[in-house]
Amino acid sequence: MVNLTIDGKQITTAKTSTIYEAAKENGIYIPVLCYAKKLLPYGACRICLVEVEQMKGRLIPSCTTPVTEGMVVTTTSDEINKVRKTVLEFLLVNHVVDCPVCDKGGECDLQDLTYEYEVVTNRFQGEKFDLPTDEVNPLIERNMNRCVLCGKCVRVCDEVVGYGSYSFINRGFETKIATAFDRGLNCEFCGQCVSMCPVGAILPRPFKFKARPWQLKDVDTVCGYCGNGCTVTLGVKDNQVQTIRFNEDTGVNHGNLCVRGRFGYSYVNDATRLTKPLIRKGGELREASWDEALVTIAEKFKAAGKDLGIISGARLTNEELLLLKRISSALGTHHLDHSGGECYQGLTAGLNETMGISASTGTFPQVEKCNAILAIRSDFYETHPVFGMVINQAIRLNDAQLSVIADKRGKLSKLPNARTLMHKPGCEINMINALCQVIIAEGLAKTDDLQGLAELTKALADYTPETVAKMVGADAEAIKKTARELAGAKNAAIVVAYGLPYTAHSKEIAIAASNLALLTGIAGREGSGLYLCGEKANSQGAIDLQITPGPAGLGAQQMLNSAAEGRLPVLYLVGEDPVVTYPDQGLVKKALEKSFLVVQDLFLTDSAKYADVVLPAASFTEKDGTFTNAERRIQRLRAGIKSPGEAKSDFVVFQSLLNKLQKTAPAAPAAAFGELTGEVAGYAGIVYEQIGPQGEVWGGETLAPLKKVLIPVAGNEPLQAEYQLLVGSALYHSGSVSTRSKGPMSVCPEPYIELGRDDAVTLNVKTGDMIQLKAAGVTIQSKAKVDNRLPKGVIFAPYHFAGLGLNRIYTGQSVIAVEPSKL
Amino acid sequence: MFKEFAKGLSITLKHLLPGHSTTVEYPKQRLEIAPRFRGLHRLVPAQDREKCVACYLCPTVCPAKCITVESEENEKGEKYPRVYEIDLLRCIFCGYCVEACPVEAIEMTSAYELANFKRGDFMYDKARLLKS
Ligand code: SF4
Ligand code: SF4
Ligand code: SF4
Ligand code: SF4
Ligand code: SF4
Ligand code: FES
Repeated sequence: MVNLTIDGKQITTAKTSTIYEAAKENGIYIPVLCYAKKLLPYGACRICLVEVEQMKGRLIPSCTTPVTEGMVVTTTSDEINKVRKTVLEFLLVNHVVDCPVCDKGGECDLQDLTYEYEVVTNRFQGEKFDLPTDEVNPLIERNMNRCVLCGKCVRVCDEVVGYGSYSFINRGFETKIATAFDRGLNCEFCGQCVSMCPVGAILPRPFKFKARPWQLKDVDTVCGYCGNGCTVTLGVKDNQVQTIRFNEDTGVNHGNLCVRGRFGYSYVNDATRLTKPLIRKGGELREASWDEALVTIAEKFKAAGKDLGIISGARLTNEELLLLKRISSALGTHHLDHSGGECYQGLTAGLNETMGISASTGTFPQVEKCNAILAIRSDFYETHPVFGMVINQAIRLNDAQLSVIADKRGKLSKLPNARTLMHKPGCEINMINALCQVIIAEGLAKTDDLQGLAELTKALADYTPETVAKMVGADAEAIKKTARELAGAKNAAIVVAYGLPYTAHSKEIAIAASNLALLTGIAGREGSGLYLCGEKANSQGAIDLQITPGPAGLGAQQMLNSAAEGRLPVLYLVGEDPVVTYPDQGLVKKALEKSFLVVQDLFLTDSAKYADVVLPAASFTEKDGTFTNAERRIQRLRAGIKSPGEAKSDFVVFQSLLNKLQKTAPAAPAAAFGELTGEVAGYAGIVYEQIGPQGEVWGGETLAPLKKVLIPVAGNEPLQAEYQLLVGSALYHSGSVSTRSKGPMSVCPEPYIELGRDDAVTLNVKTGDMIQLKAAGVTIQSKAKVDNRLPKGVIFAPYHFAGLGLNRIYTGQSVIAVEPSKL
Repeated sequence: MFKEFAKGLSITLKHLLPGHSTTVEYPKQRLEIAPRFRGLHRLVPAQDREKCVACYLCPTVCPAKCITVESEENEKGEKYPRVYEIDLLRCIFCGYCVEACPVEAIEMTSAYELANFKRGDFMYDKARLLKS
């Protein structure tokens, strides 16, 4: 700790603080322009100059100067103000000052400072900038005439996102921010640069001329897409979400979002949203009243009783899931499930068997402080981009060593310090086993109170790095290095994502990963952690609330099997579109056709077209409640807009249904949460109203394993086929709902089949050509995309698009043998 | 006492003589309007559009909240008011809008004969304000 005086106030602060941070902590205001909390100090703008007694004779930039013992700082004086005013005058010499048509007007740092320092005239003359602007990009508008060269965009895209779109080009007065070769942007479109720019030089294009910042109502809620659980702040006007606002004070994402969270909001105001219940009459879906629909459903449900199958989505709030559970128990059915391919088995079965828990053991802020990180499956960045940014921060700030067990290269492989452990598709477990083998063989394991070490050691005899390397085409030395790093690191993290496109071996992968986490001592150690991250916004909540089959119940896939055979008369789908997203489309369609189907969703989805009753539901922006994210953080959603037409939130629908079943239901989400804390282990003691802006992590920052059992799992034989298809996620999409959002669709508008360079040459295919994949007698066709991240023989397709019909050949395999051909 | 009374009355009578009245015979006769009079608003036209750039400052400053602006992007990528409307029944003719406008796109004219028959007729939309 260091003692210093700022404006006569005695202050004690951390040794690592800068003068600015020390002042801010103590409520002393110093203006800044190029400073940002989440970026490294830079010192470009000189607006934050202060006077330090010990360094008399010149002014000191407070945002880059560390505090020292006994420092005496003055933050305002006539001289300082004069200098600050001069700095502003300099900035305004070339600045275009088109505030009336600049969307930043009203929340522009330059505007605010100009006002504060009363810069009404300018002693200096100069030419105004007249640079070309980029207004064609669908998501990010750039107007460098308004740039103040603070470098925040350059820094955030490099330090946080790890993409590096921008840099300063030219020199002196000509200096400007530009992309490589000064071309258009072609990046992740996460919009971090948009949120960082203190002026109107980088703006969200979809918000162009829509409203002024002061007209927007800010509503703090949680992103409805993935399990990362980023907090977002909706900018609401005229019952529409106009934009997503920058807010770094809530959640643990420091205001960082991905393209889906920042630009994927338009579906909530889409004109094709369902607004009235529909009932099938005379073979057609016709509008009906809520009462009629609910009566019909209640009758059917009661008649079906224990033969009702309920498949829920993982984007319902915890409170809604609680009511859904109530409905299932009121009807006596055990057939309750979420996420079609039982991809969550890793958590419910895998982690439970080895450690007796079913959640990630650490929290995101701990990952930032890790020294070694292992990502299993290269898609991790694509499914959980903001967690990917946390990993990037660990690398930048902490020099962490990242290893990626991957069947294809991805964003993570490109980060500095990244070591990609490439292997043949479907062989993740072999790789993890090899890591475990090295740790045991080299005596690096932390074996205290581990059960089953002998069996595991024996079973791993076949998994020496050399054998595995040979079998799956990996690099044995790299495996050894990674194993040693993980075992030796003070803090380490293992991250795995699960979701609909990765249904195969999810339990086995989780067990293998827990073995590794136990051997390295990562699981349960303060600062380290094993992270199993669900694909959807409330995947963890669904696990915590056990939206899983009861003792005599069928899982989602079995329900569909059963329904297809006519043994399950009634199916209730809440917020799921299995026709598009579940494995084995043929089976799904048959099941939906055969059963009396009730679908509750935002849109008339492909699955809803088979329904007998369709209920219009509410999006995440229209409801209150809580989501639990992949690090067990319970965060509050707040309604920002009203649902269109007669659409109702799932909570209200479930309430009415419970009433129709002569059962009582909690009156509001807050009451439901109260009941929930009594039923869900770990949630006890958490009070809805007290869940703060940073949320509430159940089970504490570090969740200790209840047991430590090592279980041997066998690896897989690589598939012997010339061409192998991997199914996965694209960065710009999450599930299928993002394909109804303008933002993601403007940068990734259609399905594609991705090929590596070598295969493209062999097949004579170029980006944009139509190609066809044939597997088990079924063909799918799409445009090709040629890239250099896939090894020879490996083909990739994202699963989000209905148009591709990928699940006609994807039936839950980890990898599919296909025959590609050019059309 | 009578003297004072006669004196007072004579002043009154003097004013009754022709040429001494301050009342004008409106509408036949009209007073000259002061140059800073605040009457009906006018949107100033520019070359091929209105001068207004839809900055939202006038609706923000308006104490009667009677100005509606809805901005949009035109084919040239410029910001323009797709909707610009003033509800004259609510307007208090304070002139703040004129003062706030950064581009001098709105003025107040000398027109004060604004009576009308229907409520709707007091809604002045963009086309009307451009012509007024
Ligand atoms: S960046 Fe700020 S100062 Fe510059 S035109 Fe926009 S609002 Fe005005
Ligand atoms: S959108 Fe994201 S990736 Fe693209 S330039 Fe901005 S910060 Fe970088
Ligand atoms: S574009 Fe914005 S963030 Fe980037 S340097 Fe210019 S002012 Fe700073
Ligand atoms: S999609 Fe996931 S990573 Fe992206 S903003 Fe939403 S919660 Fe965050
Ligand atoms: S202040 Fe002027 S430019 Fe702005 S909206 Fe009003 S009339 Fe238009
Ligand atoms: S804020 Fe300190 S130099 Fe810019």
